[in-house]
Amino acid sequence: MKKYSVSDIILKIVAHIWLILGSIVVLVPLLWMVSAAFTPGKLLSGVPLIPDFSNLSLEHYTYIFSYKSNPASLLADYPGAFVRTLQIAVLNTIGVVFFAVITGFAFARLRFKGKKQMLLTMMILQMFPSFMGMIALFLLFRTFGFLNKPNYLALIYTAGSIPYNTFLVRGFMRNIPKSLDEAAAIDGASPLQILRLILFPLIVPIVGFLAVGAFMGPWLDYILQSVFLQPEQMTVAVWLYRTTDPLLTLVYNPLNFMAGALLIAIPIMVVQFFMQKYMVYGLTSGAEKG
Amino acid sequence: MKKKKFGQRWNELLKDIKDNPDALKSAVMSFFVMGLGQFRNKQKAKGFTFLGFGAVAFLTELFTGGYFYIFSDLAQYPADPGGQIYFIRDYGGIFSKGLWGLATLGKVVRGALYRGQAVETFNKIIPWLSADNSVTLLGTGLIALVLTSIVLSVWIYNIRDAYVSRKLILKHGTIETGKEYVKRLWSDMFPYLVLIPTLIMVLFFTLIPFMFSFLLAFTNYTYRIPVPSRLIEWVGFKNFAMIAGDPGWFSVFSQILSWTFFYAIMASATCYIMGLIQAVIIESKYVKVKKFWRTIMIVPWAVPAMISLMVFRNVFENTGLANQLLLKTGLMPAVSNFLFQIGLQGRPDTVISWLTVNYNGNLAKAVVILVNLWLGAPYFMMLITGVLTTLPKDLYEAAAIDGASKWQAFRNITLPLILRATLPAIIMTFTYNFNNFGAIYFLTGGGPAYNLEQIPLSMQVMGGIPGQTDILISWIYKLSFSNNAQLFNIAAVYSILIFIFIGSISVVNLARSKGIWEEE
Repeated sequence: MKKYSVSDIILKIVAHIWLILGSIVVLVPLLWMVSAAFTPGKLLSGVPLIPDFSNLSLEHYTYIFSYKSNPASLLADYPGAFVRTLQIAVLNTIGVVFFAVITGFAFARLRFKGKKQMLLTMMILQMFPSFMGMIALFLLFRTFGFLNKPNYLALIYTAGSIPYNTFLVRGFMRNIPKSLDEAAAIDGASPLQILRLILFPLIVPIVGFLAVGAFMGPWLDYILQSVFLQPEQMTVAVWLYRTTDPLLTLVYNPLNFMAGALLIAIPIMVVQFFMQKYMVYGLTSGAEKG
Repeated sequence: MKKKKFGQRWNELLKDIKDNPDALKSAVMSFFVMGLGQFRNKQKAKGFTFLGFGAVAFLTELFTGGYFYIFSDLAQYPADPGGQIYFIRDYGGIFSKGLWGLATLGKVVRGALYRGQAVETFNKIIPWLSADNSVTLLGTGLIALVLTSIVLSVWIYNIRDAYVSRKLILKHGTIETGKEYVKRLWSDMFPYLVLIPTLIMVLFFTLIPFMFSFLLAFTNYTYRIPVPSRLIEWVGFKNFAMIAGDPGWFSVFSQILSWTFFYAIMASATCYIMGLIQAVIIESKYVKVKKFWRTIMIVPWAVPAMISLMVFRNVFENTGLANQLLLKTGLMPAVSNFLFQIGLQGRPDTVISWLTVNYNGNLAKAVVILVNLWLGAPYFMMLITGVLTTLPKDLYEAAAIDGASKWQAFRNITLPLILRATLPAIIMTFTYNFNNFGAIYFLTGGGPAYNLEQIPLSMQVMGGIPGQTDILISWIYKLSFSNNAQLFNIAAVYSILIFIFIGSISVVNLARSKGIWEEE
């Protein structure tokens, strides 16, 4: 064994002090959130700094699962909001997978005029601040009668993700040797068969990454959902936002928020940790978490 | 091959036409009726395809319009004395009325007298008595514009095809059979067919909304115009002149802009530095259970950002975690006094109002950056950890042999390599933070408010007053969606400014990595 010098030992201690302090900063707000979710009442000041296990309360969860809204309430019931968000999320996942595969394939493997310009245009257009586009989308939705129907929001999410996902899938597909396609083409496979039978199994990792992202996205998008949906059709994100809005005194209860937030944060965190490997791929291609 | 100049190509085309009068005949026939020239060329399949396309376009215009009203009794109502009849408005179909609406943004408002009768919001029986809604006209006008350009390009293609096919027939004496043509068309068109769903999605959900909001910047559309009782008008660059010319607006804008830049730079820099430190420490030989520490440190990245931001909003409430901790540990007076001394806190020895105090917004700004650090550092930590594992070992061995200290090795080898590898990500993070709406909106909501005397009178009248931590994008949100503002035109102007700035940075960033764009 190598012997540590004095400076090594000092550095080791410094490194660990840093890490311990860092962990405290990282974890304490989250532990506080968990603690708050199980604290009775509606006051933040009532949340103990050191979790008080003798005084745990499921009050907020009882509220979340038993509260029944009526058309005039400021808050819809949480299970309803949950189901609506789930629908958007599932539809969005299907849409994103379809478009990512088909468009990524076209841009990676097919030859056509204006390919580069098209991709670049899509990516640049996407940089335009989306709030302004929302006014146009609002009108479009009103014209088609899509307003206040949560499922149609998946269209907007799917469309919005096309440019970046295309870019990512295209990059991934280009690393797959073209000789595979060519061999299949000689055997008489059509381009769509090549995509389905040869390329698709190979791009499952990146598509999985995008699918998970597409599934999680709608749970936490507040603005679009709050503008396009009436309160009785509200989603989880809107529900959460409203419970911490001090202006809505009737429903304001930060502890309800903590409890509701915990419910969706935990599954998402678990998925994030499982998907770490793919996320790192997304990161190295310059991806950014939204 | 060198690209030819336009004039040169034009001259060549004219000469070509002179030499092939017979082909020109086919082209002219297709010019007037789509597909006619193809029939003359004895290409029936093609001819029917083009004819069908033309017929569909024509019938669409005919049936979406009110042309049949021209012959009905209803149309006998004359113009008002001295009034005018807008023929396209009253009878036009999706193409013509759409373009008319885009150009004029409407002419007849609710309550007006038109062709002898009062105009309502929507009249089921007599279409021209429905009021013009400028906003809807703008939207449908854009759809019409897009559809028209599609029809026009097919029409041009049809003319060109008639001409070129005739030339080929004359030259070779044979014609391409319909079957061959369909086969060729299929393989040529296959990529576009695959892309049709994508193009439709991008068209409706990206391109048209983009054009719509872009055009709003050149209108006078605000909440003060209750459509359809009043019309929106094109005002050219008046809005641009207003935000640059009104000193009050300009001073607020420059404050917001400089804070936006400061925030974007600080947020990116702090996250980068913190991520670098974390990565280097965890990857160093002094830390044994690397995976354990790494897992803890990336926890903030796994928590959904909106939730962490709203939790932090509660953490920094007056009764929130931050103040509770300071009170319990007895550090409150010290911290409060310290913040007072460095000018972030209005009064010493009081409970700290992190996000709401009206003293100056700097404390809230500091909190915004710190919270962003909590959220953003893990991203760079993971990124840099990835880079660290790919660094070539032999460089360090060579450096050690040359007698370089560890610090020198880090400074001269590790750091430059990491910087180079992560530069695109840094730029992306900057552009992301520049538009990081959530980080402001969910944490502070833009607050604390400015003192009213800092806000120019024009803005107090028009609405859309930003808070002290508002960055440009969250101000745009307030300008367009808060109840007493809805200054869509001004918001659109600022959106265009952001778009130009962020768009050009991103283009440069994308273009830099040449490998991405090369075609093999």
